[in-house]
Amino acid sequence: MLTERPIARLTPPATLALAMTLLLVNPAFAQDRAPGRNPSQEECLNCHGDPQLATTLESGEALPLYISAEVFADSIHGLVGLECKACHGETPEVAHVAAPFVDRRQLSRHLYQTCSKCHADNYEKTLDSMHAQAAADGNLQAPICTDCHGAHDTLQPDQPRARISQTCGQCHTSIFEEYRESVHGDALIQQDNPDVPVCTDCHGVHNIHDPRTAQFRVASPELCAGCHADAQLMAKYGLSADVYNLYSLSWHGVDLTVYRANWPTIWHERAVCTDCHGVHDIRRTADSASRVNPANLLSTCQQCHPAAGPNWTGAWTGHNRISIERTPFLFYTEAFYKSFTPAVLWISGAYVVLQIVRGLVGRVRRSLR
Amino acid sequence: MTDTQAPVGVERPRLHKTFPRFTLGQRWEHAILLLSFTVLLLTGLPQKYRAAWGHYVIPTPEALTTVRTIHRVAALVFALEAIYHLGRGIALLARRRLPMAIFPTWQDVRDAGGMLRYLLFLTERKPAFGRYNFEQKFTYWFLFFGFGIMIVTGFMLWFPVLFTGFLPGGIIPAAKLAHSTEAVAAGIFVVIWHFYHVHLERLNLSIFTGWLSESDMREYHALEHERLAQESSSSTPEGTSE
Repeated sequence: MLTERPIARLTPPATLALAMTLLLVNPAFAQDRAPGRNPSQEECLNCHGDPQLATTLESGEALPLYISAEVFADSIHGLVGLECKACHGETPEVAHVAAPFVDRRQLSRHLYQTCSKCHADNYEKTLDSMHAQAAADGNLQAPICTDCHGAHDTLQPDQPRARISQTCGQCHTSIFEEYRESVHGDALIQQDNPDVPVCTDCHGVHNIHDPRTAQFRVASPELCAGCHADAQLMAKYGLSADVYNLYSLSWHGVDLTVYRANWPTIWHERAVCTDCHGVHDIRRTADSASRVNPANLLSTCQQCHPAAGPNWTGAWTGHNRISIERTPFLFYTEAFYKSFTPAVLWISGAYVVLQIVRGLVGRVRRSLR
Repeated sequence: MTDTQAPVGVERPRLHKTFPRFTLGQRWEHAILLLSFTVLLLTGLPQKYRAAWGHYVIPTPEALTTVRTIHRVAALVFALEAIYHLGRGIALLARRRLPMAIFPTWQDVRDAGGMLRYLLFLTERKPAFGRYNFEQKFTYWFLFFGFGIMIVTGFMLWFPVLFTGFLPGGIIPAAKLAHSTEAVAAGIFVVIWHFYHVHLERLNLSIFTGWLSESDMREYHALEHERLAQESSSSTPEGTSE
């Protein structure tokens, strides 16, 4: 949970100094900006439209106070006709009288809570997120609404779609670089592909959770299946939509199902999609840099099966259905167990039934004799 | 063959004639097989169906480890018994003393036909069988090959890296399919076929006691009974054979 920084943090002399600073910036301040006024946007921009308007915070950090009327007008809030007071309040005494912030971060972390006035749902979700956890653990750089969405320049977060991942990439730079090279990231950024996942499709949007937990791991194949088990979507790219079903029947997959159903919080080493395909750096199987490219497959298997030799990869059915060309051993074994063995069992069963009938008839006949 | 003609003055322990059928060694082999087979099924099936009902048997990851350990210990016992059985057969064959009664012959096919006619009320007479009838031979050989498959594939699954060192990798998923399917097939076969013939049709405990009563011999192994009767009448008065 976030803890709000107390406003009354500044010592009285500091408050006085700030008040003096503000007064020096604009001598008209004192009468015009008294608490309880209800300023229109136009009035605000009288002063805040000045690109030179700025102040210095206690930390020595400069705080620009300029707001571009054009940028705000083009923002999503400007477009729907919101004015300054919608967020800053009708009585901006905080900013104009108390102005109690040590540095810009503290100011942002205070003001962003305003977002909850309209966006309560999403705001509540952020309180349950990995980012809020980081802030609670003392990392004040952990993102707040305005870090991702902007403050006065808020735009549609997914226009274009690549914006979403680029936003995350502002902080998660190395992961973004990996993702950008991946089959998903490349399609997103180069082609504005509407189907590939952006960061939030897998990680969630406002309530982003720690992806390193056992729970996330055990549920992760379902995330992939969200698209890769969708026959229509996969057909569009010539991909098999069977991969998840066949994985679920495989050794790795059955164990995973058991863990997910019974022991979701216990860490397990059974291979999930990302163990072999990579996480942010997933590539086409045909790509020579892919971990599951035939050239790299053995070393990928060896992550868990260190002693495996070159024949080992032949044991991997590659999410393919049983076929005579690809998996002949499996094909003939299945054929045997689908024909010979059931036939033997049915014949045996039928024979025993005949024996039972014959035995009963014989007994009845003897008793009637 | 146990004789009912006990010396005068000694109380007769049994009033009916019995015929030795299995040696002590064979009875022990069956007991070991029965026990290890049961343990293997009880620890194997919950693993096969671990995503369904298996978790009632295997409630924790630790239990899974335990169940796998028990399965492997039982598998070793089972495999050693199979090796002993096969080894003994080969040793007897080398000395030309392997009893041939268990091997299938054309007579078994004719017997099966005769039995089928009897079961379909086409004849009132059951065929007369020898030492092992075709049902018993079928039991033996179905399980002989079934157990062979289970042992070979089981070790492949236990040591996949070792086996793929000299065999193609494709055998591993095939071994998994075979092990998992054959187990159920063998289990069903034992329950339907074997249990019916030794428990329901008649209670046949000869594999535990070692002997069969004269009436059972007459009814189910008439030819063998006849052969033994001829042998004993032509042999010396002490006449205990086998």
